[in-house]
Amino acid sequence: MSHDPTSAGASGGLRLAVAAGVMAVVWLVVLPWLAGRPAVARHIRAMEEGEVHPAAMVYTELEHLPTRAAWVERHLVLWP
Amino acid sequence: MTPPVRTPARGLHEDWAAVLIGGALVALALFVGARGRPADDPGSAKAWPKGWPNALSATIDKPQTWSDSPTRAFVAVDKKDPAKEKSVALPIGLAMAWVAGILVAGAAVRGQAVRGVVPGAAALALLGGLAYLLSAQKVINHYNLEYPLWALVVGLVIGNTVGVPAWLAPALQGEFLVKTGLVVFGAEVLFSRLLELGLPGLLTSWVVTPIVLVATYWFGVHVMRIPSRSLCMVISADMSVCGVSAAIATGAACKAKKEELSLAIGLSLAFTVLMMVLMPPFITRAGIDPIVGGAWLGGTIDATGAVVAAGEMLGKELGDKRPAEVAATVKMIQNSMIGIIAFAVAVYWAGWVERGATGPRRSLAAEAWARFPRFILGFVAASVICSALFVVAPEGARLVEGATLGFTSRLRGWLFCVGFVCMGMQTVFRELAPYLAAGRPLVLYCLGQALNLALSLAMATLTFGWLFRKVVDP
Repeated sequence: MSHDPTSAGASGGLRLAVAAGVMAVVWLVVLPWLAGRPAVARHIRAMEEGEVHPAAMVYTELEHLPTRAAWVERHLVLWP
Repeated sequence: MTPPVRTPARGLHEDWAAVLIGGALVALALFVGARGRPADDPGSAKAWPKGWPNALSATIDKPQTWSDSPTRAFVAVDKKDPAKEKSVALPIGLAMAWVAGILVAGAAVRGQAVRGVVPGAAALALLGGLAYLLSAQKVINHYNLEYPLWALVVGLVIGNTVGVPAWLAPALQGEFLVKTGLVVFGAEVLFSRLLELGLPGLLTSWVVTPIVLVATYWFGVHVMRIPSRSLCMVISADMSVCGVSAAIATGAACKAKKEELSLAIGLSLAFTVLMMVLMPPFITRAGIDPIVGGAWLGGTIDATGAVVAAGEMLGKELGDKRPAEVAATVKMIQNSMIGIIAFAVAVYWAGWVERGATGPRRSLAAEAWARFPRFILGFVAASVICSALFVVAPEGARLVEGATLGFTSRLRGWLFCVGFVCMGMQTVFRELAPYLAAGRPLVLYCLGQALNLALSLAMATLTFGWLFRKVVDP
Protein backbone atom coordinates (compact mmCIF):
# COMPACT_ATOMS: atom_id res chain seq x y z
CA MET A 1 0.00 0.00 0.00
CA SER A 2 1.37 3.37 -0.78
CA HIS A 3 0.55 6.42 1.23
CA ASP A 4 0.60 9.98 0.17
CA PRO A 5 0.96 12.10 3.28
CA THR A 6 -1.80 14.67 3.35
CA SER A 7 0.27 17.30 4.98
CA ALA A 8 3.67 17.91 6.38
CA GLY A 9 5.70 20.57 8.06
CA ALA A 10 4.49 23.22 10.46
CA SER A 11 0.78 23.15 9.60
CA GLY A 12 0.72 19.38 10.03
CA GLY A 13 2.50 19.67 13.36
CA LEU A 14 0.05 22.29 14.53
CA ARG A 15 -2.91 20.15 13.54
CA LEU A 16 -1.41 17.18 15.36
CA ALA A 17 -0.89 19.32 18.46
CA VAL A 18 -4.51 20.52 18.34
CA ALA A 19 -5.83 16.97 17.88
CA ALA A 20 -3.64 15.71 20.72
CA GLY A 21 -4.83 18.57 22.91
CA VAL A 22 -8.48 17.79 22.23
CA MET A 23 -7.91 14.13 22.99
CA ALA A 24 -6.07 14.98 26.21
CA VAL A 25 -8.99 17.15 27.37
CA VAL A 26 -11.51 14.44 26.52
CA TRP A 27 -9.58 11.63 28.23
CA LEU A 28 -8.24 13.55 31.22
CA VAL A 29 -11.18 15.86 31.94
CA VAL A 30 -14.42 14.92 30.19
CA LEU A 31 -14.34 11.14 30.60
CA PRO A 32 -13.29 11.22 34.29
CA TRP A 33 -16.14 13.70 34.91
CA LEU A 34 -18.52 11.42 33.04
CA ALA A 35 -17.35 8.44 35.09
CA GLY A 36 -18.56 10.26 38.19
CA ARG A 37 -22.13 10.83 36.91
CA PRO A 38 -24.57 8.66 38.88
CA ALA A 39 -25.91 6.57 35.97
CA VAL A 40 -22.47 5.93 34.48
CA ALA A 41 -20.90 5.28 37.89
CA ARG A 42 -23.71 2.81 38.66
CA HIS A 43 -23.09 0.97 35.39
CA ILE A 44 -19.33 0.82 35.97
CA ARG A 45 -19.80 -0.38 39.55
CA ALA A 46 -22.24 -3.09 38.44
CA MET A 47 -19.82 -4.32 35.79
CA GLU A 48 -16.90 -4.35 38.22
CA GLU A 49 -18.88 -6.14 40.92
CA GLY A 50 -19.99 -8.76 38.41
CA GLU A 51 -16.40 -9.06 37.11
CA VAL A 52 -17.78 -8.38 33.64
CA HIS A 53 -15.39 -7.14 31.00
CA PRO A 54 -17.66 -5.37 28.49
CA ALA A 55 -14.83 -4.50 26.11
CA ALA A 56 -13.99 -8.16 25.48
CA MET A 57 -13.83 -8.82 21.75
CA VAL A 58 -14.12 -12.60 22.05
CA TYR A 59 -14.93 -15.05 24.83
CA THR A 60 -11.28 -15.70 25.69
CA GLU A 61 -10.99 -12.10 26.92
CA LEU A 62 -13.77 -12.53 29.47
CA GLU A 63 -12.96 -12.68 33.16
CA HIS A 64 -14.92 -15.92 33.46
CA LEU A 65 -15.10 -18.33 30.52
CA PRO A 66 -18.66 -19.31 29.65
CA THR A 67 -19.14 -22.92 30.66
CA ARG A 68 -22.09 -25.19 30.38
CA ALA A 69 -24.23 -24.11 33.31
CA ALA A 70 -25.20 -26.61 35.95
CA TRP A 71 -28.85 -26.28 35.04
CA VAL A 72 -28.07 -27.22 31.45
CA GLU A 73 -25.76 -30.01 32.54
CA ARG A 74 -28.56 -31.62 34.54
CA HIS A 75 -30.59 -32.19 31.40
CA LEU A 76 -28.05 -32.41 28.66
CA VAL A 77 -28.67 -32.95 26.58
CA LEU A 78 -26.66 -32.39 23.43
CA TRP A 79 -29.60 -33.79 21.54
CA PRO A 80 -32.58 -33.68 23.91
CA MET B 1 -8.02 -4.98 2.35
CA THR B 2 -5.77 -4.30 -0.57
CA PRO B 3 -4.00 -7.21 -2.29
CA PRO B 4 -0.91 -8.43 -0.45
CA VAL B 5 2.24 -6.47 -0.99
CA ARG B 6 4.47 -8.09 -3.61
CA THR B 7 7.76 -9.02 -2.06
CA PRO B 8 11.12 -9.67 -3.62
CA ALA B 9 11.53 -13.07 -5.26
CA ARG B 10 13.65 -14.43 -2.43
CA GLY B 11 11.17 -13.54 0.30
CA LEU B 12 7.96 -15.27 1.34
CA HIS B 13 4.56 -13.97 0.27
CA GLU B 14 2.89 -11.88 2.99
CA ASP B 15 0.24 -14.56 3.62
CA TRP B 16 2.77 -17.36 4.03
CA ALA B 17 4.89 -15.16 6.27
CA ALA B 18 1.82 -14.65 8.48
CA VAL B 19 1.20 -18.42 8.54
CA LEU B 20 4.83 -19.16 9.39
CA ILE B 21 5.18 -16.60 12.17
CA GLY B 22 1.66 -17.01 13.57
CA GLY B 23 1.98 -20.79 13.52
CA ALA B 24 5.37 -20.61 15.24
CA LEU B 25 3.90 -18.42 17.99
CA VAL B 26 1.01 -20.84 18.62
CA ALA B 27 3.44 -23.78 18.64
CA LEU B 28 5.70 -21.90 21.09
CA ALA B 29 2.76 -21.22 23.42
CA LEU B 30 1.73 -24.89 23.38
CA PHE B 31 5.33 -26.06 23.87
CA VAL B 32 5.92 -23.76 26.84
CA GLY B 33 2.53 -24.73 28.26
CA ALA B 34 3.32 -28.45 27.95
CA ARG B 35 6.61 -27.96 29.81
CA GLY B 36 4.70 -26.32 32.64
CA ARG B 37 2.32 -29.28 33.08
CA PRO B 38 1.31 -29.28 36.75
CA ALA B 39 2.00 -32.44 38.74
CA ASP B 40 -1.28 -32.32 40.64
CA ASP B 41 -4.52 -33.13 38.89
CA PRO B 42 -3.43 -31.78 35.47
CA GLY B 43 -6.72 -32.58 33.74
CA SER B 44 -8.98 -30.89 36.28
CA ALA B 45 -10.94 -27.88 35.09
CA LYS B 46 -11.69 -27.05 38.72
CA ALA B 47 -8.03 -27.02 39.74
CA TRP B 48 -6.98 -25.13 36.58
CA PRO B 49 -9.97 -23.01 35.54
CA LYS B 50 -7.85 -20.96 33.15
CA GLY B 51 -5.71 -23.86 31.99
CA TRP B 52 -2.16 -24.75 32.94
CA PRO B 53 0.01 -21.81 33.94
CA ASN B 54 2.00 -20.65 30.92
CA ALA B 55 5.38 -19.00 31.53
CA LEU B 56 4.86 -16.77 28.50
CA SER B 57 2.00 -14.99 30.26
CA ALA B 58 4.59 -13.08 32.32
CA THR B 59 5.90 -11.55 29.09
CA ILE B 60 2.69 -9.92 27.94
CA ASP B 61 -0.12 -7.81 29.33
CA LYS B 62 -2.15 -4.74 28.41
CA PRO B 63 -3.02 -1.49 30.20
CA GLN B 64 -5.47 -1.94 33.08
CA THR B 65 -8.69 0.06 33.30
CA TRP B 66 -8.24 3.55 34.74
CA SER B 67 -10.57 6.39 35.62
CA ASP B 68 -8.78 9.67 36.44
CA SER B 69 -5.08 9.04 36.02
CA PRO B 70 -3.59 7.08 33.10
CA THR B 71 -0.70 6.04 35.34
CA ARG B 72 -3.14 3.62 37.01
CA ALA B 73 -3.18 1.67 33.73
CA PHE B 74 0.22 0.28 34.68
CA VAL B 75 -0.89 -1.08 38.04
CA ALA B 76 -2.88 -4.30 38.45
CA VAL B 77 -5.08 -4.51 41.53
CA ASP B 78 -5.74 -7.88 43.13
CA LYS B 79 -9.49 -8.52 42.81
CA LYS B 80 -9.69 -10.42 46.09
CA ASP B 81 -7.57 -7.97 48.05
CA PRO B 82 -7.72 -4.45 46.54
CA ALA B 83 -4.89 -3.34 48.82
CA LYS B 84 -2.51 -5.59 46.88
CA GLU B 85 -1.14 -3.98 43.75
CA LYS B 86 1.56 -4.92 41.29
CA SER B 87 3.12 -3.09 38.39
CA VAL B 88 2.37 -4.38 34.89
CA ALA B 89 4.67 -1.88 33.18
CA LEU B 90 7.25 -4.56 32.38
CA PRO B 91 4.85 -7.03 30.68
CA ILE B 92 3.29 -4.12 28.77
CA GLY B 93 6.75 -3.09 27.59
CA LEU B 94 7.54 -6.68 26.67
CA ALA B 95 4.25 -6.92 24.75
CA MET B 96 5.39 -3.99 22.64
CA ALA B 97 8.70 -5.77 22.13
CA TRP B 98 6.79 -8.88 20.91
CA VAL B 99 4.94 -6.81 18.30
CA ALA B 100 8.06 -4.94 17.18
CA GLY B 101 9.92 -8.26 16.97
CA ILE B 102 7.13 -9.80 14.88
CA LEU B 103 7.21 -6.83 12.50
CA VAL B 104 10.97 -7.22 12.11
CA ALA B 105 10.73 -11.01 11.70
CA GLY B 106 8.00 -10.52 9.12
CA ALA B 107 10.20 -8.15 7.17
CA ALA B 108 13.08 -10.63 7.33
CA VAL B 109 11.14 -13.63 6.02
CA ARG B 110 9.61 -11.50 3.28
CA GLY B 111 13.01 -10.38 2.07
CA GLN B 112 12.82 -6.76 3.28
CA ALA B 113 15.81 -4.92 4.67
CA VAL B 114 15.46 -5.44 8.43
CA ARG B 115 17.49 -2.45 9.56
CA GLY B 116 15.08 0.00 7.94
CA VAL B 117 12.11 -1.56 9.75
CA VAL B 118 13.39 -1.43 13.34
CA PRO B 119 12.74 2.25 14.23
CA GLY B 120 9.27 2.23 12.68
CA ALA B 121 8.39 -1.05 14.38
CA ALA B 122 9.34 0.38 17.76
CA ALA B 123 7.31 3.55 17.15
CA LEU B 124 4.25 1.61 15.99
CA ALA B 125 4.40 -0.63 19.05
CA LEU B 126 4.42 2.48 21.25
CA LEU B 127 1.44 3.92 19.34
CA GLY B 128 -0.37 0.61 19.83
CA GLY B 129 0.28 1.02 23.55
CA LEU B 130 -1.20 4.52 23.41
CA ALA B 131 -4.33 3.18 21.67
CA TYR B 132 -4.69 0.47 24.32
CA LEU B 133 -4.26 3.12 27.02
CA LEU B 134 -7.08 5.21 25.53
CA SER B 135 -9.37 2.17 25.33
CA ALA B 136 -8.67 1.29 28.98
CA GLN B 137 -10.36 4.45 30.33
CA LYS B 138 -13.27 3.16 32.41
CA VAL B 139 -16.13 4.91 30.61
CA ILE B 140 -14.76 3.82 27.24
CA ASN B 141 -14.05 0.32 28.46
CA HIS B 142 -17.34 -0.28 30.24
CA TYR B 143 -19.38 0.92 27.28
CA ASN B 144 -17.60 -1.49 24.97
CA LEU B 145 -15.76 0.98 22.74
CA GLU B 146 -13.07 -1.57 21.90
CA TYR B 147 -9.40 -0.89 21.20
CA PRO B 148 -9.54 -1.25 17.37
CA LEU B 149 -11.56 1.98 17.25
CA TRP B 150 -8.93 3.92 19.20
CA ALA B 151 -6.11 2.32 17.26
CA LEU B 152 -7.76 3.58 14.07
CA VAL B 153 -8.23 7.03 15.65
CA VAL B 154 -4.58 7.26 16.69
CA GLY B 155 -3.47 6.24 13.20
CA LEU B 156 -5.95 8.56 11.46
CA VAL B 157 -4.88 11.54 13.55
CA ILE B 158 -1.22 11.03 12.74
CA GLY B 159 -1.73 10.09 9.09
CA ASN B 160 -4.00 13.07 8.45
CA THR B 161 -1.94 15.70 10.25
CA VAL B 162 1.80 15.17 9.97
CA GLY B 163 1.51 12.21 7.62
CA VAL B 164 3.66 9.09 7.72
CA PRO B 165 7.34 9.89 8.29
CA ALA B 166 9.69 8.27 5.78
CA TRP B 167 11.58 6.43 8.53
CA LEU B 168 8.34 4.79 9.73
CA ALA B 169 6.95 3.78 6.33
CA PRO B 170 8.91 0.50 5.90
CA ALA B 171 7.35 -0.83 9.12
CA LEU B 172 3.80 0.09 8.14
CA GLN B 173 2.61 -3.48 7.58
CA GLY B 174 -0.88 -3.42 9.07
CA GLU B 175 -2.26 -6.19 6.92
CA PHE B 176 0.61 -8.49 7.77
CA LEU B 177 0.01 -7.87 11.49
CA VAL B 178 -3.74 -8.49 11.18
CA LYS B 179 -3.17 -11.69 9.19
CA THR B 180 -0.60 -12.92 11.72
CA GLY B 181 -3.05 -12.00 14.48
CA LEU B 182 -5.75 -14.04 12.74
CA VAL B 183 -3.50 -17.12 12.50
CA VAL B 184 -2.79 -16.77 16.24
CA PHE B 185 -6.52 -16.18 16.83
CA GLY B 186 -7.22 -19.59 15.25
CA ALA B 187 -6.02 -21.21 18.49
CA GLU B 188 -8.95 -19.59 20.34
CA VAL B 189 -11.61 -20.67 17.84
CA LEU B 190 -12.47 -24.10 19.20
CA PHE B 191 -15.04 -26.21 17.39
CA SER B 192 -15.90 -28.10 20.57
CA ARG B 193 -17.35 -24.87 21.98
CA LEU B 194 -20.06 -25.10 19.34
CA LEU B 195 -21.79 -27.83 21.29
CA GLU B 196 -21.76 -26.09 24.65
CA LEU B 197 -25.51 -25.45 24.79
CA GLY B 198 -26.59 -28.49 22.83
CA LEU B 199 -29.25 -28.37 20.17
CA PRO B 200 -31.03 -25.22 21.36
CA GLY B 201 -27.79 -23.27 21.23
CA LEU B 202 -26.86 -24.70 17.85
CA LEU B 203 -30.24 -23.82 16.38
CA THR B 204 -30.18 -20.29 17.79
CA SER B 205 -26.68 -19.61 16.50
CA TRP B 206 -26.27 -21.78 13.44
CA VAL B 207 -29.61 -21.36 11.74
CA VAL B 208 -30.10 -17.64 12.21
CA THR B 209 -26.53 -16.43 11.70
CA PRO B 210 -25.92 -17.77 8.17
CA ILE B 211 -29.43 -16.75 7.04
CA VAL B 212 -28.91 -13.18 8.26
CA LEU B 213 -25.40 -12.99 6.85
CA VAL B 214 -26.37 -14.21 3.38
CA ALA B 215 -29.65 -12.24 3.25
CA THR B 216 -27.98 -8.97 4.30
CA TYR B 217 -25.13 -9.40 1.85
CA TRP B 218 -27.53 -10.25 -0.98
CA PHE B 219 -29.78 -7.29 -0.14
CA GLY B 220 -26.84 -4.89 -0.06
CA VAL B 221 -25.44 -6.09 -3.38
CA HIS B 222 -28.61 -6.72 -5.41
CA VAL B 223 -31.32 -4.49 -3.92
CA MET B 224 -29.43 -1.52 -2.48
CA ARG B 225 -26.81 -1.84 -5.21
CA ILE B 226 -23.92 -0.84 -2.97
CA PRO B 227 -20.97 -0.88 -5.40
CA SER B 228 -18.54 -2.61 -3.06
CA ARG B 229 -19.35 -6.27 -2.43
CA SER B 230 -16.61 -6.49 0.18
CA LEU B 231 -18.21 -3.64 2.17
CA CYS B 232 -21.55 -5.50 2.11
CA MET B 233 -19.82 -8.68 3.28
CA VAL B 234 -17.93 -7.04 6.15
CA ILE B 235 -21.04 -5.22 7.40
CA SER B 236 -23.10 -8.42 7.13
CA ALA B 237 -20.50 -10.48 8.99
CA ASP B 238 -19.86 -8.07 11.84
CA MET B 239 -23.59 -7.58 12.36
CA SER B 240 -24.64 -11.25 12.15
CA VAL B 241 -21.68 -13.10 13.68
CA CYS B 242 -19.75 -11.35 16.42
CA GLY B 243 -18.77 -7.79 15.68
CA VAL B 244 -15.22 -6.55 15.30
CA SER B 245 -13.51 -9.95 15.36
CA ALA B 246 -15.80 -11.24 12.59
CA ALA B 247 -15.28 -8.04 10.60
CA ILE B 248 -11.51 -8.47 10.83
CA ALA B 249 -11.61 -12.15 9.80
CA THR B 250 -14.07 -11.79 6.93
CA GLY B 251 -12.54 -8.46 5.85
CA ALA B 252 -9.22 -10.22 5.42
CA ALA B 253 -10.91 -13.18 3.69
CA CYS B 254 -12.66 -10.97 1.11
CA LYS B 255 -9.81 -8.47 0.82
CA ALA B 256 -11.91 -5.53 1.98
CA LYS B 257 -10.36 -2.10 1.83
CA LYS B 258 -9.16 -0.60 5.09
CA GLU B 259 -11.74 2.20 4.78
CA GLU B 260 -14.50 -0.43 4.52
CA LEU B 261 -13.22 -2.27 7.55
CA SER B 262 -12.97 0.97 9.53
CA LEU B 263 -16.56 1.89 8.62
CA ALA B 264 -17.90 -1.55 9.52
CA ILE B 265 -16.13 -1.49 12.89
CA GLY B 266 -17.46 2.00 13.65
CA LEU B 267 -21.03 0.94 12.83
CA SER B 268 -20.76 -2.22 14.86
CA LEU B 269 -19.40 -0.49 17.96
CA ALA B 270 -22.00 2.30 17.83
CA PHE B 271 -24.91 -0.15 17.64
CA THR B 272 -23.36 -2.44 20.21
CA VAL B 273 -23.38 0.34 22.81
CA LEU B 274 -27.02 1.18 22.03
CA MET B 275 -28.19 -2.42 22.09
CA MET B 276 -26.25 -3.23 25.26
CA VAL B 277 -27.98 -0.40 27.10
CA LEU B 278 -31.48 -0.65 25.59
CA MET B 279 -32.18 -4.35 25.17
CA PRO B 280 -32.16 -5.55 28.82
CA PRO B 281 -34.83 -3.02 29.97
CA PHE B 282 -36.84 -3.72 26.82
CA ILE B 283 -36.82 -7.48 27.52
CA THR B 284 -37.99 -6.85 31.08
CA ARG B 285 -40.72 -4.36 30.11
CA ALA B 286 -41.96 -6.54 27.25
CA GLY B 287 -42.24 -9.52 29.58
CA ILE B 288 -40.05 -11.75 27.43
CA ASP B 289 -38.99 -14.98 29.12
CA PRO B 290 -35.55 -14.31 30.72
CA ILE B 291 -33.84 -17.33 29.16
CA VAL B 292 -35.28 -16.51 25.75
CA GLY B 293 -34.15 -12.93 26.37
CA GLY B 294 -30.63 -14.11 27.24
CA ALA B 295 -30.42 -16.17 24.05
CA TRP B 296 -31.75 -13.17 22.11
CA LEU B 297 -29.03 -10.93 23.55
CA GLY B 298 -26.37 -13.50 22.68
CA GLY B 299 -27.61 -13.87 19.14
CA THR B 300 -27.96 -10.19 18.31
CA ILE B 301 -25.53 -7.92 20.16
CA ASP B 302 -22.32 -7.88 18.15
CA ALA B 303 -19.56 -7.82 20.75
CA THR B 304 -18.93 -10.62 23.23
CA GLY B 305 -18.18 -8.39 26.20
CA ALA B 306 -21.30 -6.32 25.57
CA VAL B 307 -23.40 -9.49 25.46
CA VAL B 308 -22.13 -10.54 28.87
CA ALA B 309 -22.70 -7.02 30.21
CA ALA B 310 -26.27 -6.95 28.87
CA GLY B 311 -26.92 -10.45 30.22
CA GLU B 312 -25.66 -9.32 33.63
CA MET B 313 -27.96 -6.27 33.54
CA LEU B 314 -30.93 -8.42 32.58
CA GLY B 315 -30.10 -10.97 35.27
CA LYS B 316 -29.84 -8.24 37.91
CA GLU B 317 -33.19 -6.81 36.96
CA LEU B 318 -34.77 -10.25 37.27
CA GLY B 319 -32.62 -11.70 40.04
CA ASP B 320 -31.71 -14.67 37.85
CA LYS B 321 -28.21 -15.77 36.73
CA ARG B 322 -29.41 -17.88 33.82
CA PRO B 323 -29.96 -15.12 31.22
CA ALA B 324 -26.31 -14.08 31.51
CA GLU B 325 -25.15 -17.70 31.24
CA VAL B 326 -27.23 -18.35 28.13
CA ALA B 327 -26.30 -15.03 26.53
CA ALA B 328 -22.56 -15.60 27.01
CA THR B 329 -22.69 -19.16 25.77
CA VAL B 330 -24.72 -18.35 22.64
CA LYS B 331 -22.19 -15.64 21.81
CA MET B 332 -19.30 -18.03 22.44
CA ILE B 333 -20.88 -20.44 19.94
CA GLN B 334 -20.99 -17.59 17.43
CA ASN B 335 -17.32 -16.78 18.21
CA SER B 336 -16.49 -20.37 17.34
CA MET B 337 -18.15 -20.00 13.94
CA ILE B 338 -15.68 -17.36 12.77
CA GLY B 339 -13.23 -19.90 11.33
CA ILE B 340 -15.85 -21.67 9.25
CA ILE B 341 -17.38 -18.40 8.05
CA ALA B 342 -14.04 -16.81 7.16
CA PHE B 343 -13.06 -19.95 5.25
CA ALA B 344 -16.40 -20.02 3.39
CA VAL B 345 -16.13 -16.31 2.53
CA ALA B 346 -12.56 -16.79 1.24
CA VAL B 347 -13.65 -19.71 -0.97
CA TYR B 348 -16.69 -17.78 -2.27
CA TRP B 349 -14.59 -14.69 -2.97
CA ALA B 350 -11.78 -16.53 -4.70
CA GLY B 351 -14.05 -18.89 -6.62
CA TRP B 352 -16.93 -16.64 -7.61
CA VAL B 353 -16.63 -12.91 -6.89
CA GLU B 354 -13.09 -12.31 -8.13
CA ARG B 355 -13.32 -14.93 -10.85
CA GLY B 356 -16.42 -13.20 -12.20
CA ALA B 357 -14.63 -9.87 -12.20
CA THR B 358 -11.91 -10.98 -14.55
CA GLY B 359 -13.67 -13.68 -16.56
CA PRO B 360 -12.93 -17.40 -16.50
CA ARG B 361 -9.53 -18.49 -17.62
CA ARG B 362 -8.94 -21.73 -15.79
CA SER B 363 -11.04 -24.28 -13.94
CA LEU B 364 -13.00 -23.05 -10.94
CA ALA B 365 -10.75 -24.95 -8.52
CA ALA B 366 -7.57 -23.60 -10.10
CA GLU B 367 -8.90 -20.03 -10.13
CA ALA B 368 -10.10 -20.32 -6.55
CA TRP B 369 -6.78 -21.71 -5.37
CA ALA B 370 -4.82 -19.04 -7.22
CA ARG B 371 -6.74 -16.27 -5.45
CA PHE B 372 -7.34 -17.95 -2.11
CA PRO B 373 -5.84 -15.95 0.80
CA ARG B 374 -3.32 -18.45 2.11
CA PHE B 375 -3.22 -17.09 5.64
CA ILE B 376 -6.76 -18.47 6.11
CA LEU B 377 -5.17 -21.94 5.90
CA GLY B 378 -3.01 -21.05 8.91
CA PHE B 379 -6.03 -19.71 10.77
CA VAL B 380 -8.04 -22.89 10.10
CA ALA B 381 -5.05 -25.17 10.85
CA ALA B 382 -4.45 -23.51 14.24
CA SER B 383 -8.16 -23.85 15.01
CA VAL B 384 -8.32 -27.54 13.99
CA ILE B 385 -5.15 -28.50 15.88
CA CYS B 386 -6.16 -26.72 19.09
CA SER B 387 -9.74 -28.05 18.82
CA ALA B 388 -8.36 -31.59 18.46
CA LEU B 389 -6.07 -31.11 21.47
CA PHE B 390 -9.00 -29.67 23.40
CA VAL B 391 -11.32 -32.64 22.87
CA VAL B 392 -8.83 -35.50 22.89
CA ALA B 393 -8.26 -35.43 26.67
CA PRO B 394 -8.91 -33.15 29.65
CA GLU B 395 -5.15 -32.47 29.83
CA GLY B 396 -5.21 -31.24 26.23
CA ALA B 397 -8.04 -28.87 27.08
CA ARG B 398 -6.10 -27.41 30.03
CA LEU B 399 -2.99 -27.06 27.85
CA VAL B 400 -4.89 -25.16 25.14
CA GLU B 401 -6.70 -22.97 27.68
CA GLY B 402 -3.44 -22.03 29.39
CA ALA B 403 -1.71 -21.25 26.09
CA THR B 404 -4.58 -19.19 24.68
CA LEU B 405 -5.76 -17.35 27.80
CA GLY B 406 -2.24 -16.78 29.09
CA PHE B 407 -0.50 -15.80 25.89
CA THR B 408 -2.00 -16.05 22.40
CA SER B 409 -5.20 -14.07 23.06
CA ARG B 410 -3.17 -11.20 24.54
CA LEU B 411 -0.66 -11.28 21.70
CA ARG B 412 -3.48 -11.37 19.14
CA GLY B 413 -4.95 -8.25 20.77
CA TRP B 414 -1.66 -6.39 20.44
CA LEU B 415 -1.19 -7.51 16.82
CA PHE B 416 -4.68 -6.30 15.89
CA CYS B 417 -4.18 -3.06 17.82
CA VAL B 418 -0.90 -2.13 16.10
CA GLY B 419 -2.30 -3.41 12.78
CA PHE B 420 -5.19 -0.97 13.09
CA VAL B 421 -2.84 1.90 13.97
CA CYS B 422 -1.07 1.15 10.66
CA MET B 423 -4.36 1.03 8.76
CA GLY B 424 -5.50 4.30 10.31
CA MET B 425 -2.25 5.95 9.27
CA GLN B 426 -2.77 4.82 5.70
CA THR B 427 -6.37 6.06 5.55
CA VAL B 428 -7.07 9.56 4.31
CA PHE B 429 -10.25 11.17 5.69
CA ARG B 430 -11.55 12.18 2.28
CA GLU B 431 -11.35 8.56 1.10
CA LEU B 432 -13.91 7.67 3.76
CA ALA B 433 -16.45 10.15 2.38
CA PRO B 434 -17.74 8.07 -0.57
CA TYR B 435 -18.51 5.21 1.82
CA LEU B 436 -20.62 7.46 3.98
CA ALA B 437 -22.46 9.04 1.04
CA ALA B 438 -26.22 8.57 1.16
CA GLY B 439 -25.83 6.57 4.34
CA ARG B 440 -26.34 3.30 2.50
CA PRO B 441 -23.99 1.26 4.71
CA LEU B 442 -25.90 2.53 7.76
CA VAL B 443 -29.22 1.57 6.17
CA LEU B 444 -27.86 -1.87 5.28
CA TYR B 445 -26.65 -2.38 8.85
CA CYS B 446 -30.03 -1.30 10.29
CA LEU B 447 -32.05 -3.53 7.95
CA GLY B 448 -29.77 -6.50 8.57
CA GLN B 449 -29.91 -5.96 12.32
CA ALA B 450 -33.72 -5.72 12.18
CA LEU B 451 -33.83 -9.09 10.43
CA ASN B 452 -31.32 -10.46 12.96
CA LEU B 453 -33.43 -9.23 15.90
CA ALA B 454 -36.65 -10.73 14.47
CA LEU B 455 -35.21 -14.11 13.47
CA SER B 456 -33.12 -14.49 16.65
CA LEU B 457 -36.13 -13.77 18.86
CA ALA B 458 -38.26 -16.23 16.89
CA MET B 459 -35.62 -18.97 17.09
CA ALA B 460 -34.82 -18.31 20.77
CA THR B 461 -38.54 -18.53 21.55
CA LEU B 462 -38.87 -21.74 19.54
CA THR B 463 -35.85 -23.46 21.09
CA PHE B 464 -35.38 -22.16 24.64
CA GLY B 465 -39.00 -21.18 25.15
CA TRP B 466 -40.82 -24.16 23.69
CA LEU B 467 -39.06 -27.13 22.04
CA PHE B 468 -36.38 -27.64 24.70
CA ARG B 469 -38.07 -25.97 27.64
CA LYS B 470 -37.10 -28.85 29.94
CA VAL B 471 -33.47 -27.73 29.68
CA VAL B 472 -34.47 -24.36 31.00
CA ASP B 473 -36.84 -25.24 33.82
CA PRO B 474 -35.28 -26.12 37.19
